[in-house]
Amino acid sequence: MARDLALLIPEIIVLLTTVFALVAEMLRLPRIALAVTLPGLLLATAMTLPLLGADTSVFGGTYRIDTLSVWAKLILLPATALSILLARAELGGSDREGTVYVLINLVTLGSLVLAGAGDTMLLVLGILLSGLGSFALVAYPRNNAATEAAMKFFVFASVTGAIMIFGLSYWFGGTGSTLLSELSRLDTMPVVASIGLVAVIVGLGYKASLVPFHFWAPDAYEGAPVSIAAYMSVVPKIGAILALAQVVRDLPVNTGWQLVIAVVSVLTMTYGYLAALVQHNIVRLLAYSSVAQAGYFLLGIVAVGASPLAFKSIIVFSAAYAAMNLGAFAVVMGTGRTLDTFTDIGHKKVAMAVAMVVFLLSLAGVPPLAGFVGKFMLFGASIDAGFTWLAVVAILNSVLSLAVYLRVVVPMYQRRAVAGKPAPVPTPVSMPLVRLTWVIALVLTLGIGLAAQGLLGPLV
Amino acid sequence: MLPIVSITLFLPLVGALLVIMLRKAPAQAVHAIGIVTSGLTLAGAMWMWSRGVNEAGFAQLEQVDWMPAIGAAYRVGVDGISLPLVLLSAVLFFLTFIYSAKVRERPHAYVILMLLLETASIGTFTALDAILFYVFFEVSLVSMYFMIAGWGHEDRQRAALMFFIYTLLGSLPLLLAILGLYLGSDPHTFDMRVWIEKPPLSGTAATLALVAMLFTFAVKIPVFPFHTWLPAAHVQAPAAGSVILAGIMLKFGTYGLVRFALQMTPDAFRDAGIVILTFGVIAAIYGAFAALAQSDLKRLVAYTSVNHMGYIVVGVAISALAIDPAVRATAMDGSVLQMVSHGLVTGALFFLVGMLQDRAHTREMDRFSGLLKVVPVLGWSFVLAAFASLGLPGLAHFPAEFQIFLATLRVEPVAVIVVLGIVITAGLYLRAIGKVFLGEPREQWAGMSDLNTRELLTLGPLLILIIVVGIAPALVLDIVHKTTAALQF
Repeated sequence: MARDLALLIPEIIVLLTTVFALVAEMLRLPRIALAVTLPGLLLATAMTLPLLGADTSVFGGTYRIDTLSVWAKLILLPATALSILLARAELGGSDREGTVYVLINLVTLGSLVLAGAGDTMLLVLGILLSGLGSFALVAYPRNNAATEAAMKFFVFASVTGAIMIFGLSYWFGGTGSTLLSELSRLDTMPVVASIGLVAVIVGLGYKASLVPFHFWAPDAYEGAPVSIAAYMSVVPKIGAILALAQVVRDLPVNTGWQLVIAVVSVLTMTYGYLAALVQHNIVRLLAYSSVAQAGYFLLGIVAVGASPLAFKSIIVFSAAYAAMNLGAFAVVMGTGRTLDTFTDIGHKKVAMAVAMVVFLLSLAGVPPLAGFVGKFMLFGASIDAGFTWLAVVAILNSVLSLAVYLRVVVPMYQRRAVAGKPAPVPTPVSMPLVRLTWVIALVLTLGIGLAAQGLLGPLV
Repeated sequence: MLPIVSITLFLPLVGALLVIMLRKAPAQAVHAIGIVTSGLTLAGAMWMWSRGVNEAGFAQLEQVDWMPAIGAAYRVGVDGISLPLVLLSAVLFFLTFIYSAKVRERPHAYVILMLLLETASIGTFTALDAILFYVFFEVSLVSMYFMIAGWGHEDRQRAALMFFIYTLLGSLPLLLAILGLYLGSDPHTFDMRVWIEKPPLSGTAATLALVAMLFTFAVKIPVFPFHTWLPAAHVQAPAAGSVILAGIMLKFGTYGLVRFALQMTPDAFRDAGIVILTFGVIAAIYGAFAALAQSDLKRLVAYTSVNHMGYIVVGVAISALAIDPAVRATAMDGSVLQMVSHGLVTGALFFLVGMLQDRAHTREMDRFSGLLKVVPVLGWSFVLAAFASLGLPGLAHFPAEFQIFLATLRVEPVAVIVVLGIVITAGLYLRAIGKVFLGEPREQWAGMSDLNTRELLTLGPLLILIIVVGIAPALVLDIVHKTTAALQF
């Protein structure tokens, strides 16, 4: 038991941080909540470092401390800290500021549970924990748009969650256990295995916003505060993707799960970018872009068990995606929600515009940026696993993605057409914090691109 | 030993960082940084040249571990095929910086982009790691996109976007091929030397990889029917951008054709040799005919690039098809020399067109007449460069094209119909010279000034090099031949 708890120190620190933050908020001391949360998250990150290389599990195999879950902590905890900086910049001084930090912490904890799930019940727990917090965060502004978005989100989550639990009961019936490691017994029961698989894809697919379970995402992101959209597009999504990896690594190959995932991947990438192509609201554009990026993650999932590159590529791309997506959202916070507000910022806010170009090109996968290294390894993993056609589709989609991201880049360097027409005024946010966030994200986006070995080294 | 390849490679980047730090510096200072940095880079390239290359394989290797977990490393070095191109890049960039010293519109960003482009260009030619190659290859695209979008002519946004999407779409298949080669090599590595020494793929896999690479490089070269981005990009690009685009970036295509397609999937390349040869012949003849139909001087020069690059494709294909090693070396010598000559000659022509446009604000040939009497230095320079471009003996293109045709006759005599291209090119240049420079000068252009010192400094070295390479091609071929004589594929 003591050993189990020692392995769980990072999670415990996050939980304690959350409790302290909650107490501070109850005492109406949001600044204290913030002052507790940020160091808490960083401390938890630091305490994860000794666990690198661990490959074990706790609580009778239900929670895994392995490459995926350790890296999930190393990526998601700092990403959460960055999101909290953004949230502070946008929602600082608002009525219930401290609750935002508390909820974000809880959602992160849920995402970590997902990423380390070794048991179907933990999958359900993770989905619920990260889901419940997310609804509240989306509804935070208490206006019509936010309420509607949260409602849609909630209904969607409830239905998919119910389907998932229903399907998982088949797996339990088939194996007599809720442990994922027992799933290999299903190789003689293809129907049971398939029903469970579909259920898991529905449940985790909604969380990771895979097509066709993505419908909530653009609306929720648009209704929510930008910082919350940034957070939700990164942390819970990566958590769900890693959970999917945890599930399929134990699933017998003869269920055909690889093909199912590959098809979902193609749908997700293609639909995401096509939809992004026609958006005028940049938050919606980034929402669809993050849908499409989830499809790229699946290239790594397809290769789980078939290629040594699978986990490496997923982890590298997770880190890259977290950095570049948070960076892009930070710039959006500093600029405005519509494409129109980006016109001509290339000449007015030179540094921020350059940073945005870097984030967008990285999202499109242009070398030597972080997104390129991640996608490159994902392509390699899927080819190695025998899914060359999937890599080809992904590459074709990269072309499409370029058109999407250039729709933002091109106006940035165009002069405003109508002289005298004033630039739209962005929502007031605390610029120093936003700047700090995108600078950190920029350094990471460039750094991960050039020094991916730092991520790869401890993996091997 | 001093890592001179890396120093040469990253000097421009250091210059760019310097400009970034000196954001308040006046335009002249920024241009001075550009000129000095690229001058030092040129010195570095000449130093590399003096160190020479090995009889076989690569020389001046420099290597640092980068991502050992996946077999990627920072590896650079040169051989007889890449070294001349490195020197060509250094020369053209240096002259471009001198020419661009007049730019007053956002000079900081301009110089930063050009320096970035210089590192990307030299990096593409010196990289010996496939990932590194791809990184430089793509960075050059991004910088060129901003170059055209930021400093181009009227319709620049559209042209820049078309250029970017077209060439990026083109380069993605290369990524697939690189992945295929990586997964085919054992142990997995991105080391291009290993891939060249022991081609990792065979059979269908090699053919597929070859098709992917051919697509990429055909867009870049560009080979008919993938050339449509080229005239659009050139017409809108600033003169300096055109010089770099045609003089250096098109060479990425032919260099990749040799380095990747030919050397890494040699058997598949040989099997497809006739097809590639046919594409080359068609590109050369089509380019010449298309140039004949142009009335815009810059479009004309752009289409002659399609023609000249077509000869290189022919040379490479012939080299692959040749059985006799001597013929194979001759064809490859000619192809590499043609890359250098085309860089020098087209560079000069685009500079000249740019200078003409600076004065007249038009490039329509019909609007000019008798300029030889008004601006004799500009006029005679154009005549010299045009004669070089049409392959006059004693000027740069002649020895290159001569060797290509010679080898073609020995291997695939039918393909020699490509010589038709020269006849057409001669016709179209003579027509252009007649229209623009001969005849009676028009009232309208009477006040046109001749070349100033800055422009002379830009053009002079190029014209001298065109003559030197034409008279003494051995200066370049000595280095080239060391590698081509030992080529095994």
